[in-house]
Amino acid sequence: MSTERYSFSLTTFSPSGKLVQIEYALAAVAAGAPSVGIKASNGVVIATENKHKSILYDEHSVHKVEMITNHIGMIYSGMGPDYRLLVKQARKMAQQYYLVYHEPIPTVQLVQRVAAVMQEYTQSGGVRPFGVSLLICGWDSDRPYLFQCDPSGAYFAWKATAMGKNYINGKTFLEKRYSEDLELDDAVHTAILTLKESFEGQMTADNIEVGICDASGFRRLEPSHVKDYLANIP
Amino acid sequence: MSLLARPHYPDYSTAPVQHQFYPYADNGGSVVAIAGDDFVVIGADTRLSAGFSIYTRNQNKLFPLAKTTVLGCSGCWCDTLTLTRILKSRMQMYAQEHNKTMSTTACAQMLSTMLYYKRFFPYSISNVLVGLDNEATTLSGTAKRRFTKLGGSAGALLQPLLDNQIGQKNMEIVSKEPLSQEKALKILKDVFISAAERDIYTGDSVFINIITKDGIQEDKFELRKD
Repeated sequence: MSTERYSFSLTTFSPSGKLVQIEYALAAVAAGAPSVGIKASNGVVIATENKHKSILYDEHSVHKVEMITNHIGMIYSGMGPDYRLLVKQARKMAQQYYLVYHEPIPTVQLVQRVAAVMQEYTQSGGVRPFGVSLLICGWDSDRPYLFQCDPSGAYFAWKATAMGKNYINGKTFLEKRYSEDLELDDAVHTAILTLKESFEGQMTADNIEVGICDASGFRRLEPSHVKDYLANIP
Repeated sequence: MSLLARPHYPDYSTAPVQHQFYPYADNGGSVVAIAGDDFVVIGADTRLSAGFSIYTRNQNKLFPLAKTTVLGCSGCWCDTLTLTRILKSRMQMYAQEHNKTMSTTACAQMLSTMLYYKRFFPYSISNVLVGLDNEATTLSGTAKRRFTKLGGSAGALLQPLLDNQIGQKNMEIVSKEPLSQEKALKILKDVFISAAERDIYTGDSVFINIITKDGIQEDKFELRKD
């Protein structure tokens, strides 16, 4: 395509007004492992597939669902190493905020700061955009929040969304299943069902990861806890 | 040489003298704050001085930062002006980014970091930040039932007095009643009158801000002018 002529440098617009590198980054995200996030009335759930390519992999040593602060958690679809860097930066930004204001960082503020970092990598020399889309969930001001951060630096507030492989089907599934008065338990159930739609093979507590965030903060669910939820799924 | 060194002018000297610029000035003043359960009163004298001279008898040293947050400054007046301007600007930026006013605790923490930034060329100011957060009192970042904080030239002189009168320290008969606004104001006025008696830099009048959940009330009363 002629757009390929404009795709080598991130800082060059194509004639159609696109930054092709960002489009390619989004393609990297769409090829990544599926992840899902749902905001309930009393909390938020985020979940992702965490399949291992071989039985020799040491399960549960490295996590995809990560805590940023006591009240904010994160997952991703796309490139793992890029994700780890953003997790580290997000954690640092949250602590810096606390050092200045002695208050836990509001979720929106953290999202804005992370998105600003991602945007920097779309307008600097010699770098490439992050190959991840993030789902950031948090609880502050007595209410739940769910945000998506894209490689472009754009961020969106969602009631429910899916990313990664098969995300269009995932979103369609959520559109049918979502309701405003969903409780956290139901939301976890729905999230797991959404993941199942694009899951190849048998889903177990060892190949998915779930995190929830409510008034008492953010935590990753133990595999035993996830197992209980899976038991209720046909 | 000795012809010029006349005994009538002892200060006259032909020896070279190096002049230095000294960046600080002490413009005097005292600030007193007393906190109860759901109110804070903060008062500052209105005298601005330099050495034995008076610049003005009518300078307000209390700076309202938000509906229920007030900062009182004494010490170097030029530093006070700059600090309060920067603080106000930072609070505006916070409000624009967060879509809400800064809480008193956040303000106190931010003030602390701003001051530490200048650790090796400090703001020569004695700060007292008071306010309410969700209707509970905060005095310089900590919440207490009967708390006092003093700053400025008469601060050290009066702190023990307030520890006893408000904090009920070093006495046997302690009242369990909460501190009332009337009592706090009465003691605040007495404390300033005492300060004006002994401290030359405190006097003229006192500006008072009374902070409750409904906002800030202003009051003023006169002191010795000498």
